[in-house]
Amino acid sequence: MTDVTVKIGGEAGFGIMTTGLLMGKIATRSGYHVFEYPEYPSLIRGGHNVVDIRISDEKVYSQKQKVDVLVCLNEETLKLHKDEIKIGGMIVIDNDKTDKSIIEKIPQNVTLVPLPFGQILKDNALPNVMLNNIALGALVYLLGADFEILKTLISENFARKGEDITSKNITASQYGYDYMKDKYSAGYNKKIPKMEKAESRMYITGNEMIGLGAIAAGCKFYCAYPMTPSSVLLHYLAAKGEKVGMVVKHAEDEIAVINMALGASWAGVRSMVGTSGGGFALMVEAVSLAGITETPIVVVMGQRPGPATGMPTWTEQGDLLFVLHSGHGEFPKIILAPGDMEESYKLTLEAFNLADKYQTPVFIMGDKYLQEGHESVDRSSISSYQFSIDRGKLLTQEQLDKITDYKRYLITDDGISPRAIPGMRNSLHQANSYEHREDGHTTEEAFERKVQVDKRNKKTATFLSSDAKLPKFYGDADAQLTLISWGSMKGPILEAMKEKEGKFNLLHFSYIWPLPKVKLTEILASLKNTLLVENNSTGQLGQLISMVTGIGIKNKLLKYDGRPIYPEEIIKEVDKLL
Amino acid sequence: MNTVNNQKNAGFSGYFPTWCPGCGNFGIWAALKTAFTNLSFTPENFAVIFGIGCSGNMNDFLWADSFHALHGRAIPNAVGVKIANHKLPVVAIVGDGDCYGEGGNHLMHAARGNHDITVIVHDNRVYGLTTGQVAPTALKGFKAKSTPSGIIEVPLNPIALAITQGATFVAQGFSGDINHLVGLIEKGIKHKGFSLVNVFQPCVTFNSENSYAWYREKIYKLGEDYDSSDINNALAKSMEAETKIPLGVIYETDRSTYTDSLPQITQKSLLESLAPNLEIIAKLMDEFV
Repeated sequence: MTDVTVKIGGEAGFGIMTTGLLMGKIATRSGYHVFEYPEYPSLIRGGHNVVDIRISDEKVYSQKQKVDVLVCLNEETLKLHKDEIKIGGMIVIDNDKTDKSIIEKIPQNVTLVPLPFGQILKDNALPNVMLNNIALGALVYLLGADFEILKTLISENFARKGEDITSKNITASQYGYDYMKDKYSAGYNKKIPKMEKAESRMYITGNEMIGLGAIAAGCKFYCAYPMTPSSVLLHYLAAKGEKVGMVVKHAEDEIAVINMALGASWAGVRSMVGTSGGGFALMVEAVSLAGITETPIVVVMGQRPGPATGMPTWTEQGDLLFVLHSGHGEFPKIILAPGDMEESYKLTLEAFNLADKYQTPVFIMGDKYLQEGHESVDRSSISSYQFSIDRGKLLTQEQLDKITDYKRYLITDDGISPRAIPGMRNSLHQANSYEHREDGHTTEEAFERKVQVDKRNKKTATFLSSDAKLPKFYGDADAQLTLISWGSMKGPILEAMKEKEGKFNLLHFSYIWPLPKVKLTEILASLKNTLLVENNSTGQLGQLISMVTGIGIKNKLLKYDGRPIYPEEIIKEVDKLL
Repeated sequence: MNTVNNQKNAGFSGYFPTWCPGCGNFGIWAALKTAFTNLSFTPENFAVIFGIGCSGNMNDFLWADSFHALHGRAIPNAVGVKIANHKLPVVAIVGDGDCYGEGGNHLMHAARGNHDITVIVHDNRVYGLTTGQVAPTALKGFKAKSTPSGIIEVPLNPIALAITQGATFVAQGFSGDINHLVGLIEKGIKHKGFSLVNVFQPCVTFNSENSYAWYREKIYKLGEDYDSSDINNALAKSMEAETKIPLGVIYETDRSTYTDSLPQITQKSLLESLAPNLEIIAKLMDEFV
């Protein structure tokens, strides 16, 4: 089995993320499974950027702690990461530009591979920004990857910048490749040659998957204010908007963002907003407005560590209960939390159907870890996914023509009223932020108030009986220990499970709210031993489960330092309990 | 509540208003219904977004497809409706606190974007529905419940603000002159681009200072010789406030609207092209391979 982790580090602004992207794509096109985990600070130049690319011939679900090949584009990278190298691993570094005292501290059993980036740039009159290409060429040689794929990727990447820039980049990478061929012809002891039959895979981030899902769902209006980790979703949709017929609006603030989206949704167009905790805090009054006006809306909530500005470019699952309780007053909402790339696509499609069906806010809980890292995904698993758009009780003009005395907030058995949009005939109505009667007019009458509250609340019961999904089990059903988790922590847990096969299973929640009380209680009561795994400090899913079922989860693995949980950390905790 | 059916208003009249007798809102209500009728609107072929305040309460007095928004947020709702269906005329009916206080940011940005919506602001320089506090347009020194020693701030100048932030139609009316106001509202709705109509309307309950008589002493109508296309003229007029109050179309210019600048909706509105294009999606997936 091949399982290689490459770590590339350097100063922000020197193309570290592009290098990671190209390395990941080379491996993906060569037929491997790839998982990428990037780390970077909240600034544009001068900080430390680093990206892990894990490459394997079998499915990989997360990053791991130990690194095979560390590529240092500066001295800082060596200082920070030298202890992460595996025994027998390799460090690529420009010796000329690195303090000897640091080099001396490199652990034994690690091969130091000097690569004189500075000299190569100087000798060939190449600009500093080409440094990463030299590194990439060297890396391709050391790993025995296909240099032709790199050349093609560079050509694709720089197509818009012209032939001159493209050929300079290819030349730079050729220097790196040739230098290694000349000096370290054996390369690294694990190799990733191009496979004879390479499955067609996409190399994609959670943000882009959510974007594709929104496009496929017929979302025609996306509104946002830039905020990590959801900005890439804005960039992706903005770049594709004209092509797919979607209007993408960068509005003046998050209050405008969600209110514009609600306006567009009331007018009949599927609409989505994306943000993170701070931006969502500005949106919550309008979440409540969506609740009472019964206007469908999909909210992508990309979590990152708070409170306030917190650690903007790092990861956390700290906003589950905030979202659950967001918006003043009582109204139904639906919360989904994709666990991986496939679920990011499928649950986004689902979110739009649920928003239309229940005419209420639907949340997609992501985080920096899920939304910004790349992963290789079988193209066919996405493109062959069968799905149909269901707009719920949205009326056609033909249906409206047969109705006398249309009532926007008609009392119904399932709590969902037939919906008309402005501009249709025979459907005069208002969507009212005040409590209202069935016809939409404002009321403060006790009875009228109560029946509308009951009507809206009834949607929760309808959801539970027709659309709620129980948490999903992964692994051996008879295992002594069950890990309980949600959203993006699925990957590290599945990765840990590979090593502890049969020792534990996973109960993973991607449908977070509403939760089916009776069935969930039965499931939890049947578990032998449990461990809650969450990327936050208070065990928010655990609190929610306890609130619904009265069952507490005693053992907890909680991590809240801005980093995702690593499979090794899970294994350590599992070992304590077995 | 009584339902008023007035043939002249083509069915726009809803419940009889709960405003105080003599409220300036009555004049705006009448002018709106007449303007809609004159424009051959029906209650179902345009959209109204109401803010929150005494002005927003018109939601139950005016029959039309409408969205009763949050305080301060009617403008972004209106912008969203327009982007979704730019063939639908969109009118936002808001108050001075609603549009110049809580939602001030949205006014600036809707003007910049030249979103093709018409914003009718009820400006009585006081908060009525919350029982008498100062509005952003209250005159300096005005004493009210939240400023018992008199307001320290100078009044916000909506006309100058709108002009300088890129509004392409800025007018000012008076609810005591309904016929004149009808003309301004019609012109504002017909104007292609962002239009603001600031309407002075005395609050007979909480503002005895800025009364009908007070306004009548100060207002004057811009004459036919006034050139509303000249931005310097318009800014000079906007700075006359407090001593002489000009009524009429203060500024009007032509600039491409937000939705006219979006190639994806030149043929059909978003609402007319809801289905996703599956062929394009397949191509988008290939871009990641």
